[in-house]
Amino acid sequence: MVDPLNVAVIVKLEPDFSEGNVSYNPDGTLNRAETKNILGPHSAIAVTAAFYAKVKHGAKISIGTMGPPTAESMLQHAQLMSDADELYLYSDRAFAGADTLATAEVLKSGILKMQGKMDIVFSGHRASDGETGQTGPQTAWKLGMTFFGHVIDYEVNTESRTIRVKRLVRLQGIYDVIEEIEAPLPVFIAIDPSYKPKFNTVSQRLAYEKYQKEASQRSQNSKQYLKVFNATQIEGDPKLIGITGSPTIVYKVERIPKGKATRQAEVIDGQDREQIRKIVARMNQSLSTMVIK
Amino acid sequence: MEKYDAVVIGGGSAGLAALKHLSSRGKQAILLEAGEKVGSKNISGGILYSKKPKKGRTYNVEDIYENFLEDAPFERKITKYILHATSKDKVFSIDLTAAHNYEANFGCSVLMNKLNQWFVQQADEVAQKHGGGVVSGVHVSSIRWEGERTIVQTDELEEIEVKAIIAADGVNSEIAYMTGARQKFSPNQLYQGVKVIVKLPEDIMDQRFSIGQDEGAAHLFAGDVTLNHIGGGFLYTNRDTLSVGAVYHLDSLLENPSEPHDLVNALLRNPMISEFVKDEVPVRGEIDKNLPKEEQMRVRFAVTKMIKTWTEMRESYYSRSSRERLVKEGTYGSQAEMEAQLSSLRDQMSTKFGIKFETDYVEAEYSAKLVPDGKRCRMEKPYFKNILFVGDAAGGGVFVGPRIEGLNVGIDDAARAAEVVARAIDKNNFSESYLGQSYSQSVEESPYTHDLKSIDKDYLKIFLDAAKDVPKDIISSKYGMVVKMMSSKTLRSFAVGFANILGYEKLLPIIETLDTYVKVPTEIAERFGSSVTATYTPTIPSIAQRVARLKFNDDSKSHIKVLKPTSEFMKKMITLCPTRCYFMEKEGVMIQHEGCVECGTCSEETDWKHPVGEKGISYQYG
Ligand SMILES: Cc1cc2nc3c(=O)[nH]c(=O)nc-3n(C[C@H](O)[C@H](O)[C@H](O)COP(=O)(O)OP(=O)(O)OC[C@H]3O[C@@H](n4cnc5c(N)ncnc54)[C@H](O)[C@@H]3O)c2cc1C
Ligand code: SF4
Repeated sequence: MVDPLNVAVIVKLEPDFSEGNVSYNPDGTLNRAETKNILGPHSAIAVTAAFYAKVKHGAKISIGTMGPPTAESMLQHAQLMSDADELYLYSDRAFAGADTLATAEVLKSGILKMQGKMDIVFSGHRASDGETGQTGPQTAWKLGMTFFGHVIDYEVNTESRTIRVKRLVRLQGIYDVIEEIEAPLPVFIAIDPSYKPKFNTVSQRLAYEKYQKEASQRSQNSKQYLKVFNATQIEGDPKLIGITGSPTIVYKVERIPKGKATRQAEVIDGQDREQIRKIVARMNQSLSTMVIK
Repeated sequence: MEKYDAVVIGGGSAGLAALKHLSSRGKQAILLEAGEKVGSKNISGGILYSKKPKKGRTYNVEDIYENFLEDAPFERKITKYILHATSKDKVFSIDLTAAHNYEANFGCSVLMNKLNQWFVQQADEVAQKHGGGVVSGVHVSSIRWEGERTIVQTDELEEIEVKAIIAADGVNSEIAYMTGARQKFSPNQLYQGVKVIVKLPEDIMDQRFSIGQDEGAAHLFAGDVTLNHIGGGFLYTNRDTLSVGAVYHLDSLLENPSEPHDLVNALLRNPMISEFVKDEVPVRGEIDKNLPKEEQMRVRFAVTKMIKTWTEMRESYYSRSSRERLVKEGTYGSQAEMEAQLSSLRDQMSTKFGIKFETDYVEAEYSAKLVPDGKRCRMEKPYFKNILFVGDAAGGGVFVGPRIEGLNVGIDDAARAAEVVARAIDKNNFSESYLGQSYSQSVEESPYTHDLKSIDKDYLKIFLDAAKDVPKDIISSKYGMVVKMMSSKTLRSFAVGFANILGYEKLLPIIETLDTYVKVPTEIAERFGSSVTATYTPTIPSIAQRVARLKFNDDSKSHIKVLKPTSEFMKKMITLCPTRCYFMEKEGVMIQHEGCVECGTCSEETDWKHPVGEKGISYQYG
């Protein structure tokens, strides 16, 4: 019997940009008080990637976040998506004003507080609210783990304890290559936004259904799975945490002036049935995702 | 390759019963369903019966799901069953409740989406305990045999190896004609069913149909509402919706094509049915164009929201259980408060926003599907190698007079197939001679098979007795046997014996005729019926509006290929496709598959497959 995989995900509470009701302060920074917060879209993809390990290998999943007490409901949502076994909230005023490096310190300490040694840690590609995609790599560095960014696919061999990842590598925007790398566990993976899990055997699909059902039950009592840690409990280095641990300071955020809209018009021959059908299909496609209230 | 003992293909009521029964016997079985969710592709009329035949036994729904009566979300137990002969505004009604109760424990109205979702919960739970379960969004594309091995291929997943297969993939079973187990059903073996769901608050329904909370009514229609086709119309009460549908012989439709939606519309326009379905409907007023654009938008949104709130509140108000729950939960202080709020909202809507309240009806869903006529198309050998066919795939539905029974027959088949497969697993014998023949034998013993082969004289007698009030002078020589049988006592008892000697095959052309379904009822209604006046004219949605309301997961490729673009049959499809998928081009008939509801009407002369997993129609009611 091989050891079950132990998987962690670090996620982030982010303003809901999709609602169209994001509000900014006069100085251009986000008015967080007035903007609804949700599980960030990139974090959500990381959660999906962890769920894949659960479906495929029955992995144990722990999800951690640094955030205010209200982040609890986001963890609940993440649990519903992944059937997480444990939820961790690192919450303390002392964490406030953290830049990526100070955040990474909290997350590193937090991950070390999770149960058991991690085989894989997942993070989102980046956050949507003004982050630079540094937190993941920095946390990996602090944990001393092998780091893979832009991962679009992965397969674990639980017997040899190795992982094979596919990375999307952009070469100067000229062409994309997919790089495949094998490495021994543990590893830290920043998942690419284009990641989509594939479940292509009956047993995976059955496991998928089973864990989804379990997830909806678990997430109804998510508190039962939640552990909250403050600055002292997390046992990080106080000098490296919060505003004191943050070497970078944001002076000003400027909105990028809007460029002229460049619509991509296509000319269609109205006589040609095939062409018209293409339009109808396209309209159907847009309409099917539109909710008319 | 993954291996499973048994696979059930298709998650309609028959497939789900097979899975449940097999798993309850401790066997490993998986079920593959093409729809995005179980229930999304199934439609019925429908009344689900539980039977207690005088001879033999049927496997009833409550034998498969022990908690059916307590827990299942069926709609209403049908307690009234009435046949109406129609001619314009005249209706002559015959109470057939005795025929409905005949050999029945109960018959309840059902909506397939909701019910199949409940069935799947029950079945999946047991299946998982034995290493099986349900996978939806997977379309089985082929089956092949390599020596001893049976391999099932799907469009979505890796191949699997199985020992036995239960094919429950419906009337348009690809498994059946792909393996050559049977030919496609031909038009003379099929009915086309078209149905709409109409919304009607619960208490209003109780009152209108004079039924109690736990009762239900079924109304059947023949006569001029058939637009001259063999078959008839039905209206069943669900909890807070009505199912209004038309079921006609495909042959008869091909002979004299009518657009399927027109057949439903003919029902809705019948004054008796118009009155059955009517309700109070809010209608938006014009928005003042002189207002600033943003203000117009605001008003439009406010109106939409108000109508939604009012409709929901009214639905709850007119449902005793919701009303009581909302008061108990403290949403409203009392029922009186709820009523006051509802009426003040209504006032506000009309005074402030110019919303008018009119009498009309509210249609929620349009659907269509073929139905196999078991008398004509039941598979003599419902098996092929280690595949057993059940439900509509095996074509054994019982259609006798007003009886439309496919659901209960499918469940009976499924239980029989499951028992045979369970035994085969124990004995590790999956040969056609063991598996197939045991199943075939079991189906032969089913009272339903008996019903398809011979006429039950007690049933017929109830029927004829109920019709005995039809005035004698209708026996006009221009009509056939049926009328004579109905009206003469001696002939009535003689008729049954005689009929059984003739056998269904010879009898059908005599009974299932325009005389029976159209001419006689029309004349009866005309001469003896009473007049019904509709108090309004229903606003019937166009076919485009109906299709627009349906949910499709678009597939870029068509699952149907036209093979004979210039054939007479295909030309008729332009009229007979329920959602107008066919149109004429220079080269002949072409298909636009996006609005296809997968009814199967065009299957005869097309390369017809179900869409790949998750794609295509997804019904909300069914
Ligand atoms: C208008 C109308 C009124 C009716 N009224 C009544 C009534 O009052 N009482 C009554 O008892 N019966 C009635 N019937 C008949 C009854 O509805 C059917 O007999 C019954 O629904 C058939 O169930 P089934 O499980 O055999 O097939 P279906 O419900 O058709 O299920 C077949 C399933 O198989 C799936 N499938 C197909 N091919 C594949 C594949 N290759 N791979 C995976 N999945 C596949 C489909 O998606 C579908 O879910 C009525 C039918 C109609 C249309
Ligand atoms: S295209 Fe064929 S199967 Fe589809 S709705 Fe029309 S008649 Fe039915």
